[in-house]
Amino acid sequence: MTNPYEVLGVSPDASDDEIKKAYRELAKKYHPDNYADSPLADVAEQKMKEVNEAYDEINRMRQKGKGTGSSGSTSYSSTGGYSSNGSSSQFYSVRIYIQRNMIQEAEQVLDNTPEGNRTAEWYYLKGMCAYRKGWNDQARTYFQTAVNMDPTNQEYQSANNTANRQGNYNYGGYQTGGNMGGGTSSGCTCCDICAAYMCADCLCSCCRSGC
Amino acid sequence: MFGYLQVQKSELLVREWDAYRAVYCGLCRQMGKDYSFLSRLSLSYDCTFYAMLLLSLDRACTGFDKGRCRFNPLKKCDFARCENDAYSKAAALTVITVYYKLLDDLTDSGFLKRLLVRLLQPFFGHWRKKAAKRYPALEAAVARMMDAQRAAEQSGAGMDEAAHPTAQMLAEVLTLEARDEMQRRILQELGYQTGRWIYLMDAADDLEKDRKSGNFNPFAQLRTEDLQAYQTSVLNQCLARAYDAYQLLPLIDFKGIFDNMLLYGFPAKQNTVVYRRQEEQHDKSV
Repeated sequence: MTNPYEVLGVSPDASDDEIKKAYRELAKKYHPDNYADSPLADVAEQKMKEVNEAYDEINRMRQKGKGTGSSGSTSYSSTGGYSSNGSSSQFYSVRIYIQRNMIQEAEQVLDNTPEGNRTAEWYYLKGMCAYRKGWNDQARTYFQTAVNMDPTNQEYQSANNTANRQGNYNYGGYQTGGNMGGGTSSGCTCCDICAAYMCADCLCSCCRSGC
Repeated sequence: MFGYLQVQKSELLVREWDAYRAVYCGLCRQMGKDYSFLSRLSLSYDCTFYAMLLLSLDRACTGFDKGRCRFNPLKKCDFARCENDAYSKAAALTVITVYYKLLDDLTDSGFLKRLLVRLLQPFFGHWRKKAAKRYPALEAAVARMMDAQRAAEQSGAGMDEAAHPTAQMLAEVLTLEARDEMQRRILQELGYQTGRWIYLMDAADDLEKDRKSGNFNPFAQLRTEDLQAYQTSVLNQCLARAYDAYQLLPLIDFKGIFDNMLLYGFPAKQNTVVYRRQEEQHDKSV
């Protein structure tokens, strides 16, 4: 097994709190919610597992050192959210293909579906194929159609929400968009300063004349 | 490539800025060594990003050397030491992409620019041959992209199809570095979404020009009320997915710089490209 301290990116003489902090950060980073629908979902899951194991391992070693002897899993358990819930659906094979990253095969089955059978699920899966390929624009159109056809379905809703959330990319707190962070409309411009100065000037002269 | 992969200097630590400069200067020096003095002028931020990524993946940067800039002997600069072929590869990618960009410019630009391109082309043609001999896989990826791009644009493709060749090219270039299947898939997603972002940024940048000249542009056919908000959302999604993939790469060296680029540098650049026209109008009104 690899060195558990290396997995967490801390030095072996880090304090318990430092280790907990490092662990929490990594767990947040690899959290399955961040990778729902992503082609890298399983990679994130694997990383999460490694981090959990490393954290447990360190805790075990340290507790042994202290002689308390009680060891138990203290890490977060990953909630596997990837089980496809459509085992009874007519597109079961498509879901399996997508899960295995066999996008071409999945698309073939979908494209051979007659027009009459193109349900909300069909649009959702079509969107999922596009998403896996990185074709975000088509994916969003398909997801939106699926949601419009069946607004109550959680699965379609969540895929659509993920895509929309990505459209707002403000992970680092840096806002993209016209009214924020662009530098023009935030803060005060030359024009504002001039206007403010003129206003102030007016007020002043008003006062003086009144005096 | 087009120089969109920049850092946000104001958010960098001073030592990070120094390290970034040192990679840039190191790559510049390598271009002088491998190709020629003139080729250094074609150095781009995009290839600096590529070189830095290769250095970080292999943990191949072992320190910094002091030296002087060849263009300005009065200026002292640091060079990032490189124990693998990151610089050579990035230099090769630079001359190959510039060569193909010149070819592309020949078909759609004015007389004066065409004349300039004709003058430069033999040099880059020669360097490209040299680079292709050393790194045939890089050359193949870029050549494939150019063919696919032409085909996609001639068939009047949608946005996803139009962005696919560039995205796929960068994905192929990055996956060359993968050491196992897991890393290959991470680099595929990172490369694909970053490449897609670069293509769409270029399209947003050229929209006005392409509308006038009638050249292909994936944003030209769109009928949305708020084009800028739409562009922002499309570009954001590429960055979000690239960032998610990047998070899975266990990078240590230059980590702060990469974080800066993905979280601040790229979005800032995106804002200036998408909202530039508005700013220009604003300036006029003032």
